[in-house]
Amino acid sequence: MGPTRPLHAVFLRHPAPLRSNLVWQCSRSYHSYEHEAPPPFTPTEDAILSAALAHVPTHGFTNTALTQGARDAGYLDVSTNLFPAGAFSIVKYHLVTQRLALARHASSLQSQSDITTKIRKLALHRLHANEPIVHHWQEALALLSTARHLPTSLRELALLSDELLFLAGSTTVTSAWYTNRAALAAIYASAELFMTQDKSKGFTETEKFLKRRLEEGEKIRGGLDMVGKWVGMQAGGLVDGLRSKGVWI
Amino acid sequence: MRTAVTARLFFNQALHRPTPILEFLLPSFTVPQTRIHYASITTSSSSPNTEPSPSSLESPTSNKRRKPLSKTQRDFLDRVLRVNQAGELAATLIYTHQTSPITRAHPHLRSLMHHMYSQEAGHFSTFNQMLAKHRIRPTAMYPIWSAAASALGWGTGLMGREAAMACTEAVETEIGGHYNGQVRILLGWVKEMEDKGEEVGEEVRELVSTLKRIRDEELEHLDEAVGEGAREAKPYEFLNRVIRSGCKGAIWISERV
Repeated sequence: MGPTRPLHAVFLRHPAPLRSNLVWQCSRSYHSYEHEAPPPFTPTEDAILSAALAHVPTHGFTNTALTQGARDAGYLDVSTNLFPAGAFSIVKYHLVTQRLALARHASSLQSQSDITTKIRKLALHRLHANEPIVHHWQEALALLSTARHLPTSLRELALLSDELLFLAGSTTVTSAWYTNRAALAAIYASAELFMTQDKSKGFTETEKFLKRRLEEGEKIRGGLDMVGKWVGMQAGGLVDGLRSKGVWI
Repeated sequence: MRTAVTARLFFNQALHRPTPILEFLLPSFTVPQTRIHYASITTSSSSPNTEPSPSSLESPTSNKRRKPLSKTQRDFLDRVLRVNQAGELAATLIYTHQTSPITRAHPHLRSLMHHMYSQEAGHFSTFNQMLAKHRIRPTAMYPIWSAAASALGWGTGLMGREAAMACTEAVETEIGGHYNGQVRILLGWVKEMEDKGEEVGEEVRELVSTLKRIRDEELEHLDEAVGEGAREAKPYEFLNRVIRSGCKGAIWISERV
């Protein structure tokens, strides 16, 4: 995943049968503003998993961390049976809680900055949330990419991409809705992978990498828009010209 | 003996009446078809008289609904709002592409076409905002519906005023029926909430009134199209059937993908 790899190549690196999942997994139902969504984890799960996450920097994403977490939260070792997915449940807990935490950060963004800047800031904030565990993040990525957990991971990635665009204030509801989400998911996933190799102070290299990828995305989108507009103008001109010649179209 | 005579008399009369009772026994092709099949929906721009108007829709007590909508209800809203956006996208494109050929041939229709187009454009932006606000994904068939609607609008526009109006009639019949169904279901929810003594909530209340307004405007277009001679279109039956089944199919698909 070198920094020179173009955007479409990043997207194409995902196995072909899974690319559509990046988009399809986004399905969520009607979002109401009149009540809070129910919390994704029960209090018990919450207690054990958050305690387990604190052990990840020392034990990594392993069953040991989960057992230690259960002990810290005051439960018996056997209570780890609550989580049949084992260490993967810590990964999922991290992904879900950090995604939901973005909404709190979003209110602090300046309202005047444009959507791309907001997306970059939000994505960067989300990447920095990986900081305490980044040296173990490759283990998490390995767990995420096992066949058994792949549907969940892709769904989480898609939901994150949807969340970033929603919080940044994107109101596109054309077919670009799908391409925006797919592109952002691919960019975010590659930036996350880049971060695991980043040795720079404060992850400035990751920041630059993310900025470059997003700019490329903008360029591609802008270019496609221009081509679309040009074709539309030419077709419109042709029809108008023929009409002025008296052709009945 | 008397009953036998009466029975014979009855059958003789029945068989020799100008329109025999036993007509249904004859093969249908011998009976001349004189009935014209018109669209089944009531062509009227007013709301149906039977439609309930619950009191809580007019007199809100507080703004927020405390109990969350159920999963089924949210899924329903997700589906119908997606279909509505797709429908209004198609309607906007149909009118856009009809306007040019129609107004050249019949300049007096310019104001009508503009009026219908601008109402549809208003509906389209209403649903676009709703989709963005409530985080509903647009239909994946977006580019296909765009192409199909443009082709339909242009094609019927070229076929002339009557065909264009027949297209409007067919589309608005389906759409009107579709909105009617939604309003009916939402009013059912409102009634259920009232019976349980729950607060209906600003979101549902607003949605019902928006849908009612849009439904009435669509049915107005239907009346105007019929008034402009939709039923004189040459293959009226054919156009009506094809466009209506196309609409039904598109609604079915848009609910799913």
